[in-house]
Amino acid sequence: MRNTFVDTIINASRKRDDIFIISGDAGLGVFDGFKEECPEKFLNLGVAEQNMASFSAGLSVTGFKVYMYNIIPFLLYRCYEQVRNDICYQKLPVTLVGIGSGVTYAPQGMTHYSVEDIGLAQTLPDLTVISPADPVEARLAAAYSLNSDKPVYIRLAKRGEPVIHQDDNFDITVPQVIREGQDTAVLFHGSISSEVMSAYGMIAKENICPLIISVPVLQPLKREILMEMLKGIRTVISVEEHFSSCGLGGILKQMHSDINPPWRLRTMGIPHEFIHTIRDTGGMRKHFKITADDIVAAVKGT
Amino acid sequence: MNLKEVSREIRASIIRMAHRSGSPHVASSLSCADILTALYFDVMKLEPWDERDIFIMSKGHAAMALYSTLAVRGIMSPELLEGYYRNNGTLPAHLDRFSAKGIEVSAGSLGHGFNMGLGMAYGLKKRGSRRKVYVLIGDGESQEGSIWEGALFAPKLGLDNFTVIMDYNNLQGYGRARDLCCFEPVKSKWQAFGWHVTETDGHDPEALGKAFNEGPEGKPKIMIACTTKGKGVSFMENELVWHYFIVTDEHKEKALLEIG
Repeated sequence: MRNTFVDTIINASRKRDDIFIISGDAGLGVFDGFKEECPEKFLNLGVAEQNMASFSAGLSVTGFKVYMYNIIPFLLYRCYEQVRNDICYQKLPVTLVGIGSGVTYAPQGMTHYSVEDIGLAQTLPDLTVISPADPVEARLAAAYSLNSDKPVYIRLAKRGEPVIHQDDNFDITVPQVIREGQDTAVLFHGSISSEVMSAYGMIAKENICPLIISVPVLQPLKREILMEMLKGIRTVISVEEHFSSCGLGGILKQMHSDINPPWRLRTMGIPHEFIHTIRDTGGMRKHFKITADDIVAAVKGT
Repeated sequence: MNLKEVSREIRASIIRMAHRSGSPHVASSLSCADILTALYFDVMKLEPWDERDIFIMSKGHAAMALYSTLAVRGIMSPELLEGYYRNNGTLPAHLDRFSAKGIEVSAGSLGHGFNMGLGMAYGLKKRGSRRKVYVLIGDGESQEGSIWEGALFAPKLGLDNFTVIMDYNNLQGYGRARDLCCFEPVKSKWQAFGWHVTETDGHDPEALGKAFNEGPEGKPKIMIACTTKGKGVSFMENELVWHYFIVTDEHKEKALLEIG
């Protein structure tokens, strides 16, 4: 996902001269191609996140399309107030590109996980929040940000995520049906897509076909379109590598409470606790019961 | 109008705004009135507007000083001052860049405008523009870590189009900068970071004007402007309580009499 995203930005920079990348001392090697082509449009502002965010805001005032890149905690948490006051409040077209979504960096420790970033990003009005599930969505998220004159937050895992889309061009701002199905719908965002698709593969062999929907844009969520997709569905299961309380699960709970739809909701994700257990990403998914097997069991249990 | 008359008019406007609205921060605004006079009536290029120099009020709580200056300078409509800090009003106590012409950056939380200014100065330089960026920070504001993050990078970026003015009145919300932390030696701190540093009387517009016009190429500049909080109104000068005190009818009459 990460490389697809960066390649899309590099391609765009060949046609327009306003693209500028600011790094907070992260992404070693990721921008080598960009730096080679546009060395004067890349700046590493070091381990100084408050300055990075305010500086990016100021740079965008002078007409640059700024991409601010960092590991998510250092992109959004450390400098939340700068993102709030300087980028979002002032409606500046800075795109925040965060890497290491969920527990991608396990077992680096809690300081490096991003299991509440969607909750935090949702507190910021006018910030578009995108969590791509595969390289196709990452490319379309990049394209969306290139055309946006507002702040955008894009959370990525790292690289090697499988492609789940058959189409390569669609409207990223609306939920996407990945597999048609009935009775039960599985909704997800981000890199947990690999577990969801494995689960679908297993369960389809037993002739159980849940509706599979990717929700790349979590803010603003196009509720009416999603409701239309969920017509006839009895159970919605959300799954994510994020706190379910303040991620897609929380968003769907709010929607459920607001409009009282005919489906019941089950949320799967990381519980609202600090993570002390030491495991790799796969081990974490097992621990938090968000693997393909857990998704299969949840669908069967409905 | 000469510069002294301009700053008198700005001070009188600040007193009237603070009195009318019942808002705090009158002394912080009086402290920087002469600095704003020098910038807007002497130093900054404002025509044509699209090519203007940029001023950022990073110590956003002194908004009344900026509003008054913009009104006296004819950039902002003076009617907007009437709706300052009022229900369904026009201008907030801390700056919102969408509220009026001339507010370049929204500010209020300290240690933000300085760094936005750095980004703007860098962007303007990249674009080959000769426009300059001026940022006013407080001495209390200089306790923010973000200031020192930016201070580390500006010299490396060669931002000689960037000038910081520190309103050094040695009086913040609850005490004196020099007592609260190891504020001094402030000049050598900035010098050690690679900045061109000058010290000047922050209440003498002509001295300020001279100080603005000197400095080497390739280096960002900070002017430590020695000021008195509440300057121009004897009973407010250098008095801690006037960071928050409200201007009553009696205060207003006395203050306007002193300002002249």
